[in-house]
Amino acid sequence: MQKFIPSVLVAAISVSLTACIQSEKQDEKVEINKNPYPSTYQVLPQQTTIIRNATVLTGTGERLDNADVLMLDGKISKVGASLSAEGAVIIDAEGKWVTPGVIDVHSHLGVYPSPSAESHSDGNEATQPNTSEVWAEHSVWPQDPGFNRARAGGITTLQILPGSANLFGGRGVTLRNVPSQTMQGMKFPDAPYGLKMACGENPKRVYGTKKVSPATRMGNMAGYRMAWAEAAEYKRAWDKYETDYADGKNPEAPARDIELDTLKGVLDGEIKIHNHCYKAEEMAMMIDLSKEFGYHAGTFHHAIEAYKIADQLAENGNCAAMWPDWWGFKMEAYDMIQENVAVVDSKANSCAIVHSDSSTTIQRLNQEAGKVMYRANENGFTIKAKDAITWITANAAKSLGIEDKTGTLESGKNADVVIWNSNPFSVYAQAEQVFIDGAKVYDRFDEKYQAVSDFSLGQQ
Amino acid sequence: MKLFKASLLTLALTSATSVYAESIAVTNATIHTMTEQGVLTNATVVFDEGVITAINPETVNADTSIDAGGKTLTPGFIGSMNQLGLVEVSAVSSTRDSSEKKANITFDASAAFNPKSTVIPYTRKGGITTNISVPRGGDDMFKGQAFLADLSGEFDSIRTTDVAVIVDLGAKRKGSRAMEIQKLRHKLQDAQEALSKAKKDKKDAKKPKRADQAINALLAGEKPMIAYVDRATDILALLALKKEFSLDLVIAGAGDAVSVADEIAQAEVPVIMGAINNLPSFDALHRTLASASTLFDAGVNVAYSVSGDTHNLYMLRFDAGISVANGVSKENALKAVTANVADAFNIDAGRIAVGKKADLVLWSGDPFELSTRVEQMWIDGVETSTLSRQDALRDRYTAETDMPRAYVK
Repeated sequence: MQKFIPSVLVAAISVSLTACIQSEKQDEKVEINKNPYPSTYQVLPQQTTIIRNATVLTGTGERLDNADVLMLDGKISKVGASLSAEGAVIIDAEGKWVTPGVIDVHSHLGVYPSPSAESHSDGNEATQPNTSEVWAEHSVWPQDPGFNRARAGGITTLQILPGSANLFGGRGVTLRNVPSQTMQGMKFPDAPYGLKMACGENPKRVYGTKKVSPATRMGNMAGYRMAWAEAAEYKRAWDKYETDYADGKNPEAPARDIELDTLKGVLDGEIKIHNHCYKAEEMAMMIDLSKEFGYHAGTFHHAIEAYKIADQLAENGNCAAMWPDWWGFKMEAYDMIQENVAVVDSKANSCAIVHSDSSTTIQRLNQEAGKVMYRANENGFTIKAKDAITWITANAAKSLGIEDKTGTLESGKNADVVIWNSNPFSVYAQAEQVFIDGAKVYDRFDEKYQAVSDFSLGQQ
Repeated sequence: MKLFKASLLTLALTSATSVYAESIAVTNATIHTMTEQGVLTNATVVFDEGVITAINPETVNADTSIDAGGKTLTPGFIGSMNQLGLVEVSAVSSTRDSSEKKANITFDASAAFNPKSTVIPYTRKGGITTNISVPRGGDDMFKGQAFLADLSGEFDSIRTTDVAVIVDLGAKRKGSRAMEIQKLRHKLQDAQEALSKAKKDKKDAKKPKRADQAINALLAGEKPMIAYVDRATDILALLALKKEFSLDLVIAGAGDAVSVADEIAQAEVPVIMGAINNLPSFDALHRTLASASTLFDAGVNVAYSVSGDTHNLYMLRFDAGISVANGVSKENALKAVTANVADAFNIDAGRIAVGKKADLVLWSGDPFELSTRVEQMWIDGVETSTLSRQDALRDRYTAETDMPRAYVK
């Protein structure tokens, strides 16, 4: 809020100064198209559906036994007992569990696809430490067979991020997990963009070995600060242009800079930060950095040491996206604890998320969350299934800025739903049916609903 | 209270015992023997001096008796195809000892094994009591010799060295896979010819070089050759080599084994695979979560290994559970992490029988379930803790204190 006050003042002053000047002849206003690659996603064929007599985890912290879920016009209409609707398809889900569609906030599907091939390795523009100008969506190969595998694991929405070689890796994109020939056909309508940032070992290793800054963690911080300082100037120039134009002047538009457009988008509150950042001391500095330049530090990904500063993360409103048990592959992943997610989650106003960063574990985020729940409960926590489900649904939606659209089974939300064969936090759990916007996109027992990528088709 | 708990933890962390205290009987257990005895309920196992001395004796004679309350007792699970004890932090090169550019078939990394690695107690949480570490080697297609170690954390952890030869074939970043398989064939042929010449010409016979001795051991069937390959054509080429040279062959990776499952079964070649690898590569276009099930159904002896980083080894039991969800019987999945691993490497482990090492795990429930934990485990007959550095960190950061956390120990 603070940052808006000066511009209001500027506006007030400029109005009084220009009052006596006749408005100049204005050139056409320079407008920047903020959505040049718009979503063309279309809901798949869907019909009114009632899932009957399931154990339902709503994603709002509730568990309902023997409950029905009504999906109408692609939205969740109601969750409760004995629902009915005209012409509804009835699915008997007795003994089965129902949850919101699973959301992975950290995936590289499509940008590091299978089969792994250099020609398809498009996830990291590791050519300079600030590549805010690149957009992961421009690298997505929609035929990655991994999307289909993930759908069979209940993934309905996922954020595709650039890699972590750079301080600023570029924009991430949020996708619906539907098969399509184009990235635009998967793009989640009206989801905000993310900006990938990276702390720690990766940027300093990638550039340090090239004898280019950053080579140290202080080099990392300097790199962020210089970029944000430049972005602040850029934003000021555009804000001034907007104000002057609105005042009837004929200002010269600032030179367009694709890299700075993205950083300005963050300063304007339109793009959310997704920050690869393992260590407590670095996350704390990234929070201060965000305050220094007037944006929100967003979600910390791979936050191995989030448990060390869980209070601070909750106070500042940061989400932390974590693995249950990956560790030891580098120094910044040495201090893993299996209860990390649970410790973060235990604080008021926290936002704990389980993420994958893997084309394998994205197929079982439910089990990844389960591992945390059980280990934590062996060590003094009392986490229930109705709480653990939020780590891969509601909290993930919040991190991506789509919590008004998906992530829970509340009335009016998109009907993104998974029917599981059992308690989803079992090693034997499998998604049986998956719905996106009320349309069935996967059925374990009906090949008609099992998509096959172009790559896999016809292979012998 | 918290301080008291913390000091208990410290005690536990430092007191992995190294002496055989006394004979122990575990009674009233559901014992998965992994032998012809199958699953025994309300059963008793007695062990002494690290060895199983009785199963269901008429009278239980032991210094200590533990009532398992009907819970499941299995052989300790066996890890394989990883670098346990040879790596502490993967990206810190000074803590890695599995690779050596000049390594050849004789490379034995066991001298670098670190029983004090923090990865070991953490891995015990997965019910793993023994492990076959394999070298990553260097430029040569032979990566070196595998060794068997237990997870006691003691300095005498290594049980057997030179357990198996590791060879890496299949897709190449540079050059042709054909060259490697040809080289392997030539090596075996040359060694065979040298051996028969030496037999005929005894007085001129020189002692063969160490690398040749290692090849000769393969020709004599003294130890298995573990070959990493995925594509069906490479698997078939290896099956042909096995036939030609009577090798004790094991296929590792085996991404496209499902395409030649019957041939593998017929050749009685075991397969070591990641049970959850289901993404295609050009060498493994057909792998799915049901691959393990298909191979078992064809009659292949399948063993599981955890893909990727060694630190993930503790997840072995979860991979087994996922394979059950995808068609493998629970008993076969249990074999794939115990007896079948032992059989693939010809090691004496993975079964509960009189005379076998007492590497045992008592589980709180179904060993594969996420909600289950190890209740007690014995390695070489000695009860061993599953507490790790991770537990110490958790306790430090969940303790109530007014002081900096560094004072919570």
